[in-house]
Amino acid sequence: MDAEAAKELGKLLGAGLSMGLGAVGPGVGLGIMIGKALESIARQPEVAGDVRTNMFIGIGVTEAVALYAFVVALILIFVA
Amino acid sequence: MKHMWRWIIGLLVLGFLILLAILPGGEEMEFEVAAEFEREVLIKLPTIGPFDMSVTKTVAYLWIAVAIILVVALIVARSLKTQPGRFQYAMEAMYGLARDGIVGSVMKSGKAAWFPFVGAAFFFVLVSNLIGLLPLPFGEHHQPAFYAATANLNVTIMLALCTFLFTHYAGIRKNGAFRYVKAWAPPGAPPVLKQMIWFIHVISEVFRLISLSVRLFANMVAGHAILAVFFAMALIFQSYLIGLALQGASVLIYMFEIFVAFIQAFIFAILSAVYIGGALDQDH
Repeated sequence: MDAEAAKELGKLLGAGLSMGLGAVGPGVGLGIMIGKALESIARQPEVAGDVRTNMFIGIGVTEAVALYAFVVALILIFVA
Repeated sequence: MKHMWRWIIGLLVLGFLILLAILPGGEEMEFEVAAEFEREVLIKLPTIGPFDMSVTKTVAYLWIAVAIILVVALIVARSLKTQPGRFQYAMEAMYGLARDGIVGSVMKSGKAAWFPFVGAAFFFVLVSNLIGLLPLPFGEHHQPAFYAATANLNVTIMLALCTFLFTHYAGIRKNGAFRYVKAWAPPGAPPVLKQMIWFIHVISEVFRLISLSVRLFANMVAGHAILAVFFAMALIFQSYLIGLALQGASVLIYMFEIFVAFIQAFIFAILSAVYIGGALDQDH
């Protein structure tokens, strides 16, 4: 394999791996967080509004981690 | 008798699907996902200093968003009634969401002072995201094309920079520059630890800027890339059967993108409110 093809292979492999592995952690985190939020809403329906607002803030912060992986994948494919 | 009809309809559907699978696909077309996000220049204008003043596709989308917000807001404001109609009721619900759901639920003081900024950011991001789901004739390679102003990192960085600057402006104006910066570390901590915590806080302030802009940008780019790939899958596979199956899936993804457009606007506005509220009432 020549150097150019090896570089292309590395880029595509790295992009796929970064997106795939980068989605694992945030996926687990989102699952735990939304599950806990639903649990607490079911336990105390009167605080549903507050819990939902804070859940969305948490979703935004957690999801950003997966999106950093997405941006890294984009940079690997189109920029690097 | 009843069952025979079922069999006939089932066979007809099966025959139709086999026909679709056998039929040769349409003409071959090249499709490049990255080309959907190219910034094409619509009106060429001279460069002033480091700034290229040309009107690009993104600028046109921003103008459309501003025009829609202005027209809707003016219409609603001019025709306010005490017995609201459907349209006014919907707009009041959105306004109530921005005021009570976003600003009212996360900020302690300064609600009235900072609601205009947070509400404007919410509606601007929401309308920009939703316009991105309409096919508009600004495409470069094929005519009705999908694009969103918020799928451009420059736009989202400017929006995040507004939040960033307003956060520190609000904190400095309320608490005074020295007290504001000093309160970034907890007062009771031992000296070396205190400096380290202060330094980490400074880094986190910069990362807020990055995460706020990249989150919105990456969400919109990812959504539009998935939509574009699904819409173009029939061209890639050259098969009517796969095209039919994927158009059904793309409708579902389109509906999910409407949800994402709303959620991202909500998250952007609520994080702006959280940051500004945190700068106003510093409690560690």
